[in-house]
Amino acid sequence: MSVRGLEEREGFEGRDEDSGAGAAESPAVPSRPGPRVTWRKLTFLPAFLVAVLLATWLWFARADLDPVSAKALSNGRVSEALWQHVRLTVISTFLVLVVAIPLGFLLARRAFGGGPMARAAGLTGRAVPAIGLLALLVMWLGTGTKAALVGITACAVLPVLSHTVAGLRANDSPVAPGILAGVRTALVLNVGTATLATFGGGGGLGVLIATGITTRRMPVLILGSVLTMTLALLVDWLASVAELLSGPRGCQELDAKKSMQKRCCKGPFA
Amino acid sequence: MNFWEYLGSHHRQLLTDAGQHASAVLGCMVVATVLGVLLGLATWRSAWAARLATTAGPSILAVPPLAVLGLLIPVVGLGVAPTVIALTLYGLPPVVRHAIVGLRAVDPSPVDAARVIGMTRPARVGLPLAWPSILTGIRGSTRMLMGVTAIAACASGPGLGKEIFRGLGSPDSENALNEVLAGTLGIVALTLLFDGAYVLLGRLTCVERAGLRAGRAPVEREGGGEGVRV
Repeated sequence: MSVRGLEEREGFEGRDEDSGAGAAESPAVPSRPGPRVTWRKLTFLPAFLVAVLLATWLWFARADLDPVSAKALSNGRVSEALWQHVRLTVISTFLVLVVAIPLGFLLARRAFGGGPMARAAGLTGRAVPAIGLLALLVMWLGTGTKAALVGITACAVLPVLSHTVAGLRANDSPVAPGILAGVRTALVLNVGTATLATFGGGGGLGVLIATGITTRRMPVLILGSVLTMTLALLVDWLASVAELLSGPRGCQELDAKKSMQKRCCKGPFA
Repeated sequence: MNFWEYLGSHHRQLLTDAGQHASAVLGCMVVATVLGVLLGLATWRSAWAARLATTAGPSILAVPPLAVLGLLIPVVGLGVAPTVIALTLYGLPPVVRHAIVGLRAVDPSPVDAARVIGMTRPARVGLPLAWPSILTGIRGSTRMLMGVTAIAACASGPGLGKEIFRGLGSPDSENALNEVLAGTLGIVALTLLFDGAYVLLGRLTCVERAGLRAGRAPVEREGGGEGVRV
C-alpha cells in the first residue's frame, strides 16, 4: 500500500506548496526558480531505478538459486505477478475515478463541505486499515481478484474524492487539474494497495514478497520487494511528470496558495 | 461463536495485542518526531537541503510498506526489528516536511526580536510557533503507522495485525470473521483514540496565531490528514 498518495492529500501536498507558497513567503530563504531544479530531480529517479534494476538483474543472472527459490521464480511466475499487479492497479484506478470524479463534481458545486457527521464518517472511514478492509471483503466475497479489486478501490475512493474536490474548488474554472490530481492520487495509492492483494488470493507482486517470507528465501523476497518498489516509484514519477506537464507553474502556485488559504480557515485541528 | 462471545473469551489477548500495536506506533512516532524535527532544524534555512528533504520524503512514502519490509527482513530478520525500522522510516517524512514548512512560515519579527534582545537561538522561538504544523504532521503520520504496523504482522511483527492475518490465513474456519473483525475494529478504535488525543494536545499546547503568517503552514482537510491508506 502506498503512503504517498494520501500524504499528498494531507498537507504534504507535494512540490507546489513548498516551492510555491512556502518559498514565496519566506524572504529569509531565497529560492531558485523551480523548473531547473525540478527537471534535474526528475531525471535522477529514473536513472536510479534503471541502476537498481540492472544491478538486480546482474545479480540474479549470476546467482545459484536453491531449488525452492528457483521454483518460485520460474515459469514466468515473476512476469505473471507483475502483469497481475499492473492489471489490478489500472482496473481499480478506473473504478475509483468512475466513482470519485462525478461525486467530486457534485460535492465541489455545492458548498456542502459536510457537517460534523460527514467529517466523523470520513475520519472513521480513513481509520480503517487497508489490510483489514481487504480481509473483511475476503470474508464476504471469498478469495480472488474480485475482493482485491473492491478492496483496492474502496481504499482509494475517500482520499481521491477529497483531493478532487479540493482541486476543483481551488481552480474555479479549469476542470483538468482537478481530475488529473485525482488520477495521480489514485494511481499512486492503488499501486501500493495492490501489494496486499496477495493476502486475499488476488495475485500481484506481493505474491513474491509473501512467498519469500513464508519460505524464508531471501532471493525471492528481495526480487519481489525490488520490483514492487521500482513499479511504485515509477508510477509516482510518471504522475509527477504528468502534473508538471499539465499546467503552467504560475497557475499551480496560485492554486496552491488559494487552496492553502481555504484550508487555513479551519485550523489544523478542525 | 458470535463476535461478542469471541471478544469476551479472547479479550486478554486482544488487549495485549492492542497494547503492543499502540506502543509500537507511539514509540516509533516519538523517535521519528525527534529525528524529524532535528532534520527540519538542520535544513530549513538552506533552500536546496530543504527541497531535498521534502522531495526525498514523498519518494520514501511512495514505496509500499510490504516492499520496505521485504528489503529490511534480509538485513534484520523477522519480528519487531523490521517493523520498528519501517515505522520510523515512514514516520519521518511528514514530520520533516511540516517542520520545515512551519519554520519557514514563521513571521520573522518574533525571531528577529528574540535575536535583538540577545536570545542567540532563534529556533527556540521558531519551534514553538512551528509546533501546530509539526503536530499536524504527527497526526497524519500516526494514522499511517497504524496501518503499516498491521501489515508488518505478516513478518511476525507485533500488534493487532496478527489477528487479521490469522483470520485471513484460514478464511473458512469458524472464527475467521471474528478474528478479522476484532483486529480491524481494534485498529480503528486505536486510531480514533490517538487522533482524539492529538486534537486535545493541540488545543492545550498551540500558541494561537501569534507569529504565524496569514498563509501559514498547510493544514489538513477534514479532520486529520492521512499518510497512507493502509
